[in-house]
Amino acid sequence: MELGRLEYLQALVTEFQVTDSSEAKEQVLANLANFAYDPKNYEYLRQLQVLDLFLDMLTEDNETLVEFAIGGLCNLCLDKTNKDYILEANGVEPIINCLSSSNEETVMSAVTTLMYLTTPQSRQQTTALPVVECMLRFSLSASRRLSNLATVFLEDYCTPLQVEEAQNLSKHTAVGIPLPKD
Amino acid sequence: MDGGGSRPGGGPMRGERPLCSPPDWLRAWAGGRGDKMAAGSGAGTGPGTGGEKMAAGGGSGPGTGPGGACRHHEQLAACGSRAKYREGRRPRAVKVYTINLESRYLLIQGVPALGVMKELVEQFALYGAIEEYHALDEYPAEQFTEVYLIKFQKVQCARVAKKKMDERSFFGSLLHVCYAPEFETVQETREKLQDRRKYIAKATNQRDCFVLMKMEGPKKTDPAHCRQWSTLGSCATSDWDPSCFPGSHGVSQNMGRPSGSQNQSLLTLPQYDSHCAETSAYCGQSTSLTRNVSPGGHGPPVPLIRQRTAVADSGVGRFMPRTTHLQERKRRREESNKFALIETNTDNTEVIIGPQLPEIPKVDMDDDSLNTSATLIRNKLKEVAESVSRTPVEKPDNSSAKPLVKQRRRI
Repeated sequence: MELGRLEYLQALVTEFQVTDSSEAKEQVLANLANFAYDPKNYEYLRQLQVLDLFLDMLTEDNETLVEFAIGGLCNLCLDKTNKDYILEANGVEPIINCLSSSNEETVMSAVTTLMYLTTPQSRQQTTALPVVECMLRFSLSASRRLSNLATVFLEDYCTPLQVEEAQNLSKHTAVGIPLPKD
Repeated sequence: MDGGGSRPGGGPMRGERPLCSPPDWLRAWAGGRGDKMAAGSGAGTGPGTGGEKMAAGGGSGPGTGPGGACRHHEQLAACGSRAKYREGRRPRAVKVYTINLESRYLLIQGVPALGVMKELVEQFALYGAIEEYHALDEYPAEQFTEVYLIKFQKVQCARVAKKKMDERSFFGSLLHVCYAPEFETVQETREKLQDRRKYIAKATNQRDCFVLMKMEGPKKTDPAHCRQWSTLGSCATSDWDPSCFPGSHGVSQNMGRPSGSQNQSLLTLPQYDSHCAETSAYCGQSTSLTRNVSPGGHGPPVPLIRQRTAVADSGVGRFMPRTTHLQERKRRREESNKFALIETNTDNTEVIIGPQLPEIPKVDMDDDSLNTSATLIRNKLKEVAESVSRTPVEKPDNSSAKPLVKQRRRI
């Protein structure tokens, strides 16, 4: 059965690479991302280089593919090996870019992924100033899910100094939406 | 994607997070998209929107304001274009589940407005301890239906409950059950993320873990016992095939949950942190069913099964749930009492009669004369027992048992 599992995942990856149908691509990617939820599959997913596949999809134009890919990364990035792999592959940058997606699920997954990828070494990258600034905005979002998540990010992964810095910065930048008065 | 088009441009990074005051997402939501959602809440799902959302995951979400909070409650249309080999047992939408979408909170739509809250809660309580529940009166609902919110103690229980209850018929109406993470507090969100972290840490170090657990077997905490037991129980009672998952760690039994293979058994709770009330209840049950099975710590189900067949009647030196211990002890005591008196062998070959004889004099009455009379009585008993039980070799049946009971009272 273990063999069957690998073969099945292999079939998915193959279909993903071979098919021309974007619908099938989305479905298969969703499948793979869901398989990435279960640690039992990690070994196989690594073997089949699904992590690279997810990372590649982050820069696609098709937002659905991006959503599923970042969902997959969010699902598997807690594993130490996977985490190291993503960090090695410079995955943080495309993940940060997902924060600006208009798809809420994509944003949510990206925030969580950044949290999970934060290590003493990667901290500087995952909690870079623009990210913190972004989280500040999210923490004011009307979407409770998003604001909760961003709040956790700010409270648990950033230093008060970082937050303050970001606050000051956003005061001076006129981009985007107005901030509410405190 | 397409939904995003209608958004007032703006750098996507900023454009979308509206800053309307967070509190009333619910009301705002109801106002803004109520009608649409109401359709979605029914089992049918408005075909138009649903279909579109399916692919896009409702790309529009956050921009339209608070509506985003609940967009994921809309039931997506099932996907009908999957390749054969990717088809699950149940039709499903194309959706990726992450920890962000899961929650201890379940939103139950489509409950007929018949005053059946009690029944509803009872039904859901089958899957784990419920911490809170109430009707969501302001929540947009289809006519004659109500919407309820149920908060479980564990995400795991919510997970199982959702799986079992979604699309279930309930008083003539189809329920639509979904996670409702937007009801979480910041702290609850934090804990949820933390739990996932812990779980992965545990699951990915499973080999070391396994060894360790084995070593310290009996020291495991109660919930863990429960988990073991329930896992075991489900092995026995369900269609779960443990051979598919060697090395599994009590993890979700499907390779990838949403993609298909649904476990239909009612009692499968092999996932990671199931210490629900139900589980413990079931614990007791399986205890009595398979009394001598003793899961050594945190092992994969397969060895457990093997153990189960291998282990005969000795639970010595291995972990047993407390109840089993007590039962076992009681049984032993009863047996030894019986044999001490009868001093004969029943069909149980394991009880060695010889060594038990000397034990009888151990009863010290703290007085010589008492001891003497005790010995007399004992000898008399022995005589009686022997004479009776010698004749029926195999079974010391009632005829012998009756006088013995009386005798014992006298002592």
